[in-house]
Amino acid sequence: MNAGTGRQPSAGGPRGTGATGAVHESGRSARRFWSARRIPSTIVALLSVAAIGLLLYDVVSVQADRSAMRWRRRLAEELATRPLDDIWMIVGAAVAMALGLWLFLLAVTPGLRRLLPMRQPTGIHRTGEVRAGLDRCAAALLLRDRAMRVSGVQSVQVDVGRRKVNVHAHAHFRELNEVRADLDATLGEAVTTLGLARQPTLVVLVRRPKKR
Amino acid sequence: MLKAVNRVLLGLIGLGLFALGGGVLLGGLDLPRRWDFDVPGWWPFRGPDDVVLGAEGRTRWQEEAWWWPTVIAALAVLLALLLWWLLAQLRRHRLGEVLIGSEDDTAARLNGRALEGAIEEEAQALDGVSRAYVRLTGRRAAAAARVRLQLKPHAEPAQTLGQLSRETLAHARDSAGLDRLPSEVRLREVRHRARRVA
Repeated sequence: MNAGTGRQPSAGGPRGTGATGAVHESGRSARRFWSARRIPSTIVALLSVAAIGLLLYDVVSVQADRSAMRWRRRLAEELATRPLDDIWMIVGAAVAMALGLWLFLLAVTPGLRRLLPMRQPTGIHRTGEVRAGLDRCAAALLLRDRAMRVSGVQSVQVDVGRRKVNVHAHAHFRELNEVRADLDATLGEAVTTLGLARQPTLVVLVRRPKKR
Repeated sequence: MLKAVNRVLLGLIGLGLFALGGGVLLGGLDLPRRWDFDVPGWWPFRGPDDVVLGAEGRTRWQEEAWWWPTVIAALAVLLALLLWWLLAQLRRHRLGEVLIGSEDDTAARLNGRALEGAIEEEAQALDGVSRAYVRLTGRRAAAAARVRLQLKPHAEPAQTLGQLSRETLAHARDSAGLDRLPSEVRLREVRHRARRVA
């Protein structure tokens, strides 16, 4: 197996980082970004406003001696006549349960998985002043560009996960082991320049390109 | 603020839907009898032959004089709250002006757009940044900045962030005379093709 795994030492930031780098490493700066959940909230609010508005309109119009709208009579009738083991009731209940669970999960999970929290920059006069996150695609692009500079690498694919960076490279010349060692060193250094709060594990895989 | 409201409301609505669906499912599949447990006395759904909203439940209070006004009032309040919630999503909060506290009590005002533009310009001059977008949020007396940076290829994010916070943001904070300027920075990069370096 051509996999070389190496956890990067957690301290040791980019140039200019003093001994305080390790202090900011833990605690506050590593917190995830929490999404405001605007889109689901907008959808739920829109649907609820429409439903409640319609119901209110109908209740008021019935009070003003007009007859109820057809959907409301139909709905009352269905709710009053369909037994609970009717297939539609079961399906409806299952859908409501799944939807409810999904909304609840949206409410309690942070979201924004694309954004990797970055280490607190040093040299600012108060901690917590700057919170930064690096886009995962940007991290992958930066690492890919670095990997392309290693001689022997013909093409490379970098997947940046939240804890792990997977690198698949094709080398068309040089010994595979040498290329892998070079990639390990280059990318190991490049990962620290990303300034992430949590150093991801680097997994490098080098292969020969397929013969054409 | 909006974050907390959204999450609490989504969670409550989710739990409500989950409980309602679960209750109907429990009755519809006759689980209390099959799995041999008891539901409390007030439980509305009893057995597979029950209905969600029977005629008795629907008309129980209809004769009471207070019923319809109460329903209308409750629906109206609910509708108002939901409308507020909906409008809060659509409004983007942006600070028009920043209050600068000076020694004497006269507070000076600074145009928010001007400060945003100044930070953007200075950030774009940084090494490794191709575009910067800055938006001021928070309150007039306690401004905060949201910064979006578009990185150039071969940028070093840690270094760029360090420069941004030590120079650009610190400079903006000091020159505007602000006590502090909490900032949230997000860094991205434009997608581009891989190039072989000879």
